[in-house]
Parts: sequence; structure tokens; C-alpha cells
Amino acid sequence: MERNIGLETKDDKLDTRVKLAIYETIAETGRIPASPEVSRNLGVSQDEVVAAFGRLHAKRLVLPEPGDRTRVRMAPPFSAVPTPFPVEANGKLYYANCVWDAYGVAAALHCDAVSHALDGHTGEPLTLEVKNGQPILKPYFAHFAVPAAHWWDNLIFT
Amino acid sequence: MLLFRSEETVDLWCKGRNIPRRPLINLDQLWQLALHWYSNRITVESRRPAADEMVSIFASIGLAGPFWDPKSNQWK
Repeated sequence: MERNIGLETKDDKLDTRVKLAIYETIAETGRIPASPEVSRNLGVSQDEVVAAFGRLHAKRLVLPEPGDRTRVRMAPPFSAVPTPFPVEANGKLYYANCVWDAYGVAAALHCDAVSHALDGHTGEPLTLEVKNGQPILKPYFAHFAVPAAHWWDNLIFT
Repeated sequence: MLLFRSEETVDLWCKGRNIPRRPLINLDQLWQLALHWYSNRITVESRRPAADEMVSIFASIGLAGPFWDPKSNQWK
């Protein structure tokens, strides 16, 4: 993605407002807001918000819900739907998209967090914890099945 | 990107799905990735790292080679 530093367009400015509105709602509630809620919060039309969702997707910052451009499935590290990576932080429940994103919730919110994850093969409970800005390290592994060049080919699988 | 207790359970998962085993990273590396990707996510200036930046980030935590190169067409 090329950047036009210093050449921010009207769309770029709206994209930033929409991005922040999405993430602020997530941080406060654990939910990813759909276009009507973002529209109300920002005082712009739903069409403008949906267009911004599309541009934020092109910038690889959010993934719209497949088949429904008015909703966002992923605003990484957060997921709009339950996943095997629930994360408790700030007294709220969030869902991360993958094991990387499970740590990403603590990184994004700058807080302690606990993720009650599962072993990908056995289903055995495995806990990931961040305390005082540091992970509680355990001898677990994350396996990356998809190479970096293809992560956004099918982000839901990745 | 899944979590596993051990290399053994990674191998069993891959074998069960006929998927080749790909790179493993430990939790310290995973935490560093999370910081690089997400620590400024809820800010005006946040953006996804560009391809060359990604390569530098990966290299800084010991992840090098075409698997970690978003411009590489070596891996499918």
C-alpha cells in the first residue's frame, strides 16, 4: 500500500474517523459496530461509512463481513464473531482472530489480559496472559500455516 | 494461526489435515509481533506495516526467509 504523506484526501480523513470510531466502540464494549452505529456516532451517512469500510479494507485495516458490506468481521486484532481466542481485558470479553491477535488485544488496549485459548490439535486449554506489559511466557508454539504473501488472500482461514 | 502446547501436537495437526509443517514461533516472538502490529492501532496514525517494514520487523525477531516476505511468490 503506497502512502501519500502530506496529501491526505477528504476520504482519508473520513477513513481515519471511521477507523477510530470502530476501535473506540470495540474498546468500550467488545463489539465491532456496524455501519448504522458508526453513522450515528460520526454524523455521516451510512453510505459514506460503508464506502469507508471498503477503503479501510483496501488499506488492510479491516475485513468487511463476507456478503454484507455494512458490517465488519475483523478489525484486527478483534473479531466480530466468537473465536477460539477469547480475551478478558479491562473487565470485558473480546474475541481475537488468531493466536497472534490474542496477544494483540493486550497490545492494542495497553492493558493486562488473559486469553483462554486451546491447543489447535488436542483442544487442551492453554492460557496466554499479559501482566504489567509483559507476557507470562510458556513453552507453547504458534504455527503459521500460511506464508506472509498470502495472509490476506483468505484472512478468515489465516 | 493456531496455538499448540508442543511441536508434537503441531505435527499431529498438520498430519491430520495433510498440511505441511510451516514455521513455529515461540511466545516471546509472538508478543513482539503483537506489539509491532497493534500497539498504536487505536490512534490516528495507525496503519498496517508496508511490505518492506514487515520484512524488517520479522527479521528483528529472528524470522527471515521467503515465508516471511510478503512480496515472495516462493510459497503457496
